[in-house]
Amino acid sequence: MTTAVAAGPVEYIKTIGLTTNQSGRGFTNPYDCAFAPDGRILILNRCDTVRASLVRIGMMNWEEDYLGEFSRGYGRADGQWILPVAIAMDDQGVVYVTDEQQHRITALDTDGNFVRQWGEKGSGPGQMNGPAGLAMNAGETLYVVEQGNNRVQRFSTSGESLGMWGESGDGPGQFNMPWGVGLDSAGNVYVADWRNDRIQKFTGDGQFIAAYGASGDGQLSRPSGVCVDSDGYMYVSDWGNERVQILDPDGGFIQSLRGQATLSKWAQDFMSVNPDERNTREMSNLVPELPPHLDTPYLISSQTEPYFWGPVSVRLDSEDRLFVVESNRHRIQVYQRRKG
Amino acid sequence: MSNADIALMAHLMRRAGFGASRDELEQRVARGYENVVEDLVNPGSPNAMPDDVIRRYHVDMAEMRELNSAGAYWIYRMVTTDNPLEEKMALFWHSLFATGYSKLNQARALMNQIDTFRRHSMGSFHTMLVELSKDPAMIIWLDNNDNHKDDINENYGRELLELFSMGIGNYTEDDVKECARAFTGWTLGNAEYMATRASRDSIWPYSRIAWHFQYRDHDHDDGEKTFLGHTGNFNGEDIIDIIVQQEATARFVSTRLFQFFAADEVDAAGEAVIEQMMETYFASNYEIRSVLRTLFNSDYFKSEAARFARVKGPVELVVGAVRLAGTYQEPTFGADQLARYTLYMGQGIFQPPSVEGWHEGSEWIDSGALVERVNFVGKELGDPGNPGVKALIDRMSAGVKRPLSAEEQVDACADLLGPMELSSATRTSLSEFAGEQGEADLRAGSRTEADDQRIANLLRLLTATREYQLA
Repeated sequence: MTTAVAAGPVEYIKTIGLTTNQSGRGFTNPYDCAFAPDGRILILNRCDTVRASLVRIGMMNWEEDYLGEFSRGYGRADGQWILPVAIAMDDQGVVYVTDEQQHRITALDTDGNFVRQWGEKGSGPGQMNGPAGLAMNAGETLYVVEQGNNRVQRFSTSGESLGMWGESGDGPGQFNMPWGVGLDSAGNVYVADWRNDRIQKFTGDGQFIAAYGASGDGQLSRPSGVCVDSDGYMYVSDWGNERVQILDPDGGFIQSLRGQATLSKWAQDFMSVNPDERNTREMSNLVPELPPHLDTPYLISSQTEPYFWGPVSVRLDSEDRLFVVESNRHRIQVYQRRKG
Repeated sequence: MSNADIALMAHLMRRAGFGASRDELEQRVARGYENVVEDLVNPGSPNAMPDDVIRRYHVDMAEMRELNSAGAYWIYRMVTTDNPLEEKMALFWHSLFATGYSKLNQARALMNQIDTFRRHSMGSFHTMLVELSKDPAMIIWLDNNDNHKDDINENYGRELLELFSMGIGNYTEDDVKECARAFTGWTLGNAEYMATRASRDSIWPYSRIAWHFQYRDHDHDDGEKTFLGHTGNFNGEDIIDIIVQQEATARFVSTRLFQFFAADEVDAAGEAVIEQMMETYFASNYEIRSVLRTLFNSDYFKSEAARFARVKGPVELVVGAVRLAGTYQEPTFGADQLARYTLYMGQGIFQPPSVEGWHEGSEWIDSGALVERVNFVGKELGDPGNPGVKALIDRMSAGVKRPLSAEEQVDACADLLGPMELSSATRTSLSEFAGEQGEADLRAGSRTEADDQRIANLLRLLTATREYQLA
């Protein structure tokens, strides 16, 4: 039994981001984020089919200043991406990105310079099948979740395979199309076992510790991501339920978040110069009552702008602020647990 | 199991579905024709590709902002469903109640409309018209959000009578106005904001917000109205009560169903079937399922004369080819191209040319569209690596004792693609092609990739025939 710090409520802080259909300020189907030591927030934009060429990493800070973007573009050449999923950063400021379509990991610096890449489709050591979630331990070991191989593979930052665990199934240590991965301060590994509707916890070398959640009402539905704060509390992006669940260090339920987005600084800028939309928006109810045929979490979120819609990733910054990345709403909602 | 039974079942599955493999046809023949009709009109679980795996892989289909992504999402369903008639009916209603993206800029609302069509596809026509009148995409498409108590907009009221239920000549201009009055106050939630965003094609600040119906009592004209000879303080549902009782409505719905499922042109024998469908319409309390049952079980529908009497629509053609080829059974990179192909062939999903929908039948075919049709189907069925094509060749290989001659190859391919009845000229041309390729040795132990490719080449050429373009 872990001794838990008393749980305070998780409170909404603010929303960052804005939809864009071009490069520059704004997000285009954001899929993950990472935090640089200098305070920059890096947002991985996966992009839809029409705007695939805009695939990129955007940079901003907590004050919501736009700080530029970088990528090697869309494609199959060195350093380019087709369907990027997750991002992590090492101690040297190198950014690593998984690409589930090309079965490889790409490393760039934040000026967009190509550093290295590795991986090809397969199930042997160093090969990958549908790499999705990505986490960095102590700035030197990468944990890569492979949805197609139903396993977790460890790599050095130079791309050397350091081992792997997992197989297809629903027992301990088995997976069904896993997605996100997070680490706690002790180096334990938490995997969002997507189609098994649970989170699995392992030691850093893959020994099974526990599983949290199950299918069904009030449980998890297709969790996409998981992160763990400095006190051991787990934050799960409960993708199929369009919400975030907070669990205590033993897996006990603490709180559920449905989303409460407000206008970001960039969104306020948009509204200030578009009075037709601002004025009609102000007379609208953005959390409406809906008819019964629209009562699934997905459809409710498609109609209810403040709610999470497509929460694909959860990440914590150095101050334990929770960043919930929403691919369908092109924004990040930020929350923080009050301690004590 | 006779060839005639197989041919009849193939006919039913081309019309009430998107075609079927020989294995499926044999299973259905074993069940019996009328039982299969019952299975089709009483669909169970679709077992289609799950939404979660689609939305995880295709971020565009999760957000449902892009036109062709929405179209491809629906095609996935059509390709993988176990309930082909359910999807065929949704396609029928989309053709009849044609609603277009160009004015809405809202693919999610259009997909929700298709869900409504699917939900009520074979139920009461009364319910369908009520749900159609509450559909937010239709409300914006035909301006009912601008239909106010003190300032009516007749657009939806007019099309409800002209294009969706009775047809022109069966009502007066006064009926149109009274109908429009009855539908005042039928709008969508946050109508002003949503209409502004639609008109500006706005995705800001946080992408599209989907739509839902809202009734505004304070904006509804509750005064007395006279409609088609009936007088009362009618609301929209009262108007639909009157519409569905009209003989003109029964004829309209029955004729459109006949043309979609039986024959592009209505002859005297077809007219008699339509009369039977109209009787069923009233006897069943306007139930579309019953009307379809009457049609599919009619001697006319089952007759030789009804076979290959319709030009396949582009969506039918694409879905049928993909189902037969066995491709796109799981999320596939570039799947949105499927929707683009139907557009190139003249039937862009959610892109009807007008509120009247598409001009069907022989108008599907022009030189440009025909090239697209032939190229697409040829690519799907000309690749022996595609699972359905491989299965078809495997079936052809079963029990063969010697290499197949050119004529035998043609006959076997035509049989398994239909069965298709080729004209002698077509058969001769195909045989010449097959002869140039040489014998196909499909015997176990002798069969090579080259043999499979020869058969696939022949399948590719067969899909270019006039016979294959017809359903």
